[in-house]
Amino acid sequence: MSDLVGWADEYFWGAMVVLRVFAVSLVLSVIIGLVGAAMKLSRSRVANAIAGAYTVVFRGTPELLVLLIVYFGAAVTLTAIAQSVDPSIKFIDIPPFWAGAFAIALIVGAYMTETFRGAFLGVDPGHVEAARALGLSNLQTFIYVRIPQMWRLALPNFGNHMLSLMKDTALISVIGLEEIVFVAEMATSVTTKPFTMFMVVALIYLCITTVITLAVMALEKYANRHLEGSR
Amino acid sequence: MSEAKSEPIIVLEDVCKRFGDFQALTEVNLTVSRGERIVVCGPSGSGKSTMIRCINRLEEHDSGRIIVAGKELTGEVKDIDAVRREVGMVFQSFNLFPHLKVIDNLTLALRLVRKMPKTEARKVAVKYLERVYIPDQADKYPSQLSGGQQQRVAIARALCMNPEVMLFDEPTSALDPEMISEVLDVMRELAEEGMTMICVTHEMGFARSVADLMVFMDRGEIVETAPPGEFFENPRSDRTRLFLGQILSH
Amino acid sequence: MNFDVSLVVESIPRMLEGIGLTLQLLILSSAIGLVLAIITLLMRISGKWFLVAPAAIYIYFFRGTPILVQIFIIYYGLPQLEFIREGALWPVLREPFWCCVIALSLNGGAYVSEILRGGVLGVEKGVLEAASALGISRSQRFVYITSPIAIRLSIPAYSNDMISMVKSTALASTVTLLDMTGVARTIVAQTFAPYEIFIAAASIYLVMAWMIQKGFGLLERRMSRYVKAT
Repeated sequence: MSDLVGWADEYFWGAMVVLRVFAVSLVLSVIIGLVGAAMKLSRSRVANAIAGAYTVVFRGTPELLVLLIVYFGAAVTLTAIAQSVDPSIKFIDIPPFWAGAFAIALIVGAYMTETFRGAFLGVDPGHVEAARALGLSNLQTFIYVRIPQMWRLALPNFGNHMLSLMKDTALISVIGLEEIVFVAEMATSVTTKPFTMFMVVALIYLCITTVITLAVMALEKYANRHLEGSR
Repeated sequence: MSEAKSEPIIVLEDVCKRFGDFQALTEVNLTVSRGERIVVCGPSGSGKSTMIRCINRLEEHDSGRIIVAGKELTGEVKDIDAVRREVGMVFQSFNLFPHLKVIDNLTLALRLVRKMPKTEARKVAVKYLERVYIPDQADKYPSQLSGGQQQRVAIARALCMNPEVMLFDEPTSALDPEMISEVLDVMRELAEEGMTMICVTHEMGFARSVADLMVFMDRGEIVETAPPGEFFENPRSDRTRLFLGQILSH
Repeated sequence: MNFDVSLVVESIPRMLEGIGLTLQLLILSSAIGLVLAIITLLMRISGKWFLVAPAAIYIYFFRGTPILVQIFIIYYGLPQLEFIREGALWPVLREPFWCCVIALSLNGGAYVSEILRGGVLGVEKGVLEAASALGISRSQRFVYITSPIAIRLSIPAYSNDMISMVKSTALASTVTLLDMTGVARTIVAQTFAPYEIFIAAASIYLVMAWMIQKGFGLLERRMSRYVKAT
């Protein structure tokens, strides 16, 4: 137990890194998801095909592999580009934080695409028609009718994607990000208490995922408040 | 009128039931004799379904006594299973087992509850399918049958267990109009053969021709009971009059 | 910068050497995971608090923490505990392969148990009432009515979970195992060609995912013969 006290600081800062990666990756994945859904719902067959290929590839490929391709691939590409400009440059890579955030955003973005697409399709066309019949413009209909309804339908799955995203951040330790798994590895080499150290990591993740789950539950209740009380 | 109508087969004594704040049944008293055909009617929410569902313990009554075929309904699983063997139920939404063929829908309970061997159970099932006029549908799945056919299968399924009493919970309410009569005809034949039955329904024509006793319920209470002639021509309570006016007019 | 297709073609056979391990991990973990899932489900729906609580805690822990961390706890962490080191299972628990199988099974079991529970909840209440009205007992209802219907309802989600399981096997490469990803990483370290090698590996995984999806699609269609087409 006393071993832990010495490492509390490192764990704390590692957890901050995790939360930062989570936030960045989440924003990126939502943007990718919305773009992807728009492409899938559009009438352009090219857009449909690209988005379709994207979702299939990034939902079927192991997360670790995507991470490795992005990190090492970017390094190779950047180095090649840099060397063509300045041959003396030996090696350039992107920081693991950004490689990791981007890689995970690509993966979770594929799931988000499907969720947003399904949610948009689930908006009752009757509601949209009613809005038009009342005279609302396209944009107003989109903002005041489509988005709120789509959001409510997307929420449960969106919550699950957020949880996956959070748990995927642990993989970034493999490419060297100094977050809590990394801290545990360091702590283990010093204290030789791997079980304790990794259990702490698990418990930290458990706390974060619990908070996310509770937040999503509260949001779901809020989004569905107009439905409660009906028999 | 027959001699068989003597012994009470179902007795409800001061039965009360609430769902949370809502009082579904208040001091319900009813005695059903063997061979008697009872039709229960009333507005929605009046407790009609709740009452018959208490009889086979799909709902648990809070106070009062319910005695079926001599056994009192308590929390004892043994008693409940024994009662359910004697009481058959037909539901508004048929509730056939979707993953089993029609014939298997009928034989399942025979094999599991009465421990009948497969071949014997099949024979019984075929007999009852013939009784409801659809022996040729035996190897189909419920989803391939029309609503009227499905409900007749449901009736046959309940009859296979050879119950003493049949309970019908709005059996035709979920059917398209053209299929209602095929189900009512089967029920009428059952009644004529002397089956004791309690039927919750809005089909007043059926009620008039089949019932020995009409029971009118409103807001969880039995308001009035009377033989059909008296019930329809000369209802005693205002509430009954109001209800009859609403359903018989349009 | 060239994309060396010949390198892709050359390395696929080498990576397929890793597929044996990938498949072993997949099949063992899925099988054990399914058994765990069924046991956990029965505990969850038993209604008895001393069965429900452990099941709920198990599910909560394994769904709330990353698989990587679970693997590390079992592989790196268990050796810290004396009773493990001196126990009868030690020869098994020190092998990275079995540690991965255990971690993936425990993880899979938690997820699949929730999937099955979703299937059980999807069985129409009325159908179960009809069964009770006929006198069919609680355990008989579960075996003859609930289970067949719940299984059919669970297939799509289970298929997705199995695909996740395939992807999770790649994590075995983080504890020295030479599954497909492990082999790929080794080759990349030698050739410095991450795109070609990793994309080749990814395509093999995609083919596996596709096969699983098709397989379960067929199974679902077979089991849905009786469902009305709306």
